[in-house]
Amino acid sequence: MSAPLVRTEELSGGYRPGTDALTGVTFAAEAGEVVAILGPNGGGKSTLFRALLGELPQRRGTVELAGRPAYVPQTERARLDFPVSALDVALMGAYGRTPWYRRLARADRAAARAALARVGLEAEAGERFGALSGGQRQRVLIARALVQDAPVLLLDEPLSGVDAPSAARIEALFEELRGEGRALLVATHDVRQARSWQRVLCLHGRQIAYGDPAAVLTPDVLQATYGAELVVLGDGSTAIAVEHHEH
Amino acid sequence: MLSDPITRRALFEVLILALALGPLGVWVLLHRQAYAAESMSHGLLPGLVLAALAGVPLVLGAAGGALLAAGAIALAARDERIRADLGVAVAVSALFGLGALLALAPEAPPRLEELLFGDLLGISGADLLAAAGLALAVCAALAAAHRPLALTAFDRGAAHALGARALHWETVLLVLLGVGTVAAAPGLGSLLLVALVIAPAAAALRVTRRLAPALALAAAIAAGAGFGGLALSYYADLAAGASVAMCAVAAPILTRLAT
Amino acid sequence: MLDAFSAPYMQRALVEIALLAVLAGVLGAWIVLRRLAFFTHSVGTATFPGLVVAGPWGIAPQLAALIAALGFAGARERLARGREGEEDAATGILLVGALALGALLASDVYRSGAGVDRLLFGTLIGLSGRDLALTALAAALALAADAALRRAWLARAFDPDGARALGVAVAWPERILLAAVAGAVIVALAAVGALLVSVVLVVPAATVRLLARDVRTLQLGTGALAAVEGVAALWLADGLNVSPGPAMAVLGGAVFALVALLTRGRS
Repeated sequence: MSAPLVRTEELSGGYRPGTDALTGVTFAAEAGEVVAILGPNGGGKSTLFRALLGELPQRRGTVELAGRPAYVPQTERARLDFPVSALDVALMGAYGRTPWYRRLARADRAAARAALARVGLEAEAGERFGALSGGQRQRVLIARALVQDAPVLLLDEPLSGVDAPSAARIEALFEELRGEGRALLVATHDVRQARSWQRVLCLHGRQIAYGDPAAVLTPDVLQATYGAELVVLGDGSTAIAVEHHEH
Repeated sequence: MLSDPITRRALFEVLILALALGPLGVWVLLHRQAYAAESMSHGLLPGLVLAALAGVPLVLGAAGGALLAAGAIALAARDERIRADLGVAVAVSALFGLGALLALAPEAPPRLEELLFGDLLGISGADLLAAAGLALAVCAALAAAHRPLALTAFDRGAAHALGARALHWETVLLVLLGVGTVAAAPGLGSLLLVALVIAPAAAALRVTRRLAPALALAAAIAAGAGFGGLALSYYADLAAGASVAMCAVAAPILTRLAT
Repeated sequence: MLDAFSAPYMQRALVEIALLAVLAGVLGAWIVLRRLAFFTHSVGTATFPGLVVAGPWGIAPQLAALIAALGFAGARERLARGREGEEDAATGILLVGALALGALLASDVYRSGAGVDRLLFGTLIGLSGRDLALTALAAALALAADAALRRAWLARAFDPDGARALGVAVAWPERILLAAVAGAVIVALAAVGALLVSVVLVVPAATVRLLARDVRTLQLGTGALAAVEGVAALWLADGLNVSPGPAMAVLGGAVFALVALLTRGRS
């Protein structure tokens, strides 16, 4: 069996010396796995991503990565009023491998177009990024990560607030990326979604649980992760939806 | 120094302004409106110039200029396509340039330096009375509005829930800032008056975060800066307004070094 | 009208404005996109005390301006350390301090009252060959920096969090951008003055920003607009016998207001 694409052991760290935002994270993601990262806001999901990207000032523990991960932020964090097209944004994925004294290669431009086509936005390549819908913008940011061609992708709530067609496209894309042997870490609030993937990591400042969703996602674990009485909700887009199975 | 009638007059003016601008500055800083204070004072220059050209009391020009500036800034800040601070920057530089243009173009130009850096020693009787009146009005209004201003300054989370009320009091503060600016403009000038607003307050807030002491301390520091600046100006033969401004600016720098 | 431009001082002014238009085009876009308008204005104002003493002390104004700006940056760094939300106030305090200091130096130490207008608002007739040479140098360096770093600047401006994750260097391109903007401010001082550098470096870019759909267009459009506004301002300044800064401020503001009004329907 080959080495996992992501592996951490006792990963801890924070933004200021002395205070840890995250402690004791130990998990691994193999090629072809989608790992759900569950936890409340402020519970450490973004901190974990920061740590994996090497941007956490106070970091302790082991981190092993197969190359630089690609990061897909939430669309709200990007500027909507910017004079860039969808293609321009996708093309940014090639910036990291192009030294400052070189122009972008024609192959990179082609890769950007291909990535947009893969997320179903070929026709919108020339549109201004901010003029697209939330779901389309999220897909453009994913296309940017595809252009980066990284073995590991970190996605921060890629499906929250996204319209259903975009969400379906994105989830289908996840399956394709699994087939290509990449590993995906997806921060999410959607427990239902987490159950459909290969692994789940529950964080609340510290690691609560990690492993197979069916085994890990018990009411107790969810309670410890979210720290409050959980409520069943009809619609599950941003709120926590827990299905109580009445046996 | 106190035997000199000109200096006595200037001292009276600057002490009254200190009483109003010191506490006003504390509120301005607590509401994070330092940039608004600067923008208002620079933006009213055209009004000052027109008043000087027309020979009317500068206070009137300052008032007109402040209204125009406030209007332009409000319009610019409202446009969602450009960020508020960019729009304000454009509006203020245009207004300021307009003021300079009006001042430099005529055959008999008004003394632009005095409009920019103040004419504390040469202030007219009318401007002095107006400044005193306006400053006292600001003091009274700040005292009356103390509690709601404190609420909106400190409880920004709840202030959002308060909604319209918070906006109302923020607007009241900006209006009072405008009045204080108008009062100080003839004496300290469009460029320097903001020193007496934000510098003593910054120093006071470094020393204490408790509201009432900060307000009192800011007024005291501003008064001290006024007195010290005039003394410096009198004995060292320096420009009065600039001396007062320098003394005011020295206060937060010294408190920063000391803490 | 063309007669006005035949005098040697006007020809120098035209060259200077053309060079400043290049700087406005190349850097103005980034100033606007990276929200550096206040920084630009601050650097300009901060140089005032330096400009006041440059003549009497026999140093090149640009050098004195640079030293004053560095002093300001250092003081600013120390004054606002730590406390969040105090940056605006700290900058404002230091700026008014710089103005007061300059006024004191001008009024007493050097009795150069009449010259203060020129320092604050620029000059049409006082541009030297050295001023032009330095502006040309600044423009060339800005163009080079833009060619090399525009991708880094764009990635950082668009998505600060994700830029580093893309594998793009962030720290030193940032420093170079700030240095380039500061350099542009310093060479613009001669023509438009310490208080109005924004009218060259920020206002045209803010105007074209309302129309441009990509960065390249923004830059080219800004350069063109700055050139047109600049030439018109020179003509106006010469006719009214004022300095170019205020003339360009009024023109720039009017054009901005017009464009903002006309494009209001668009999103």
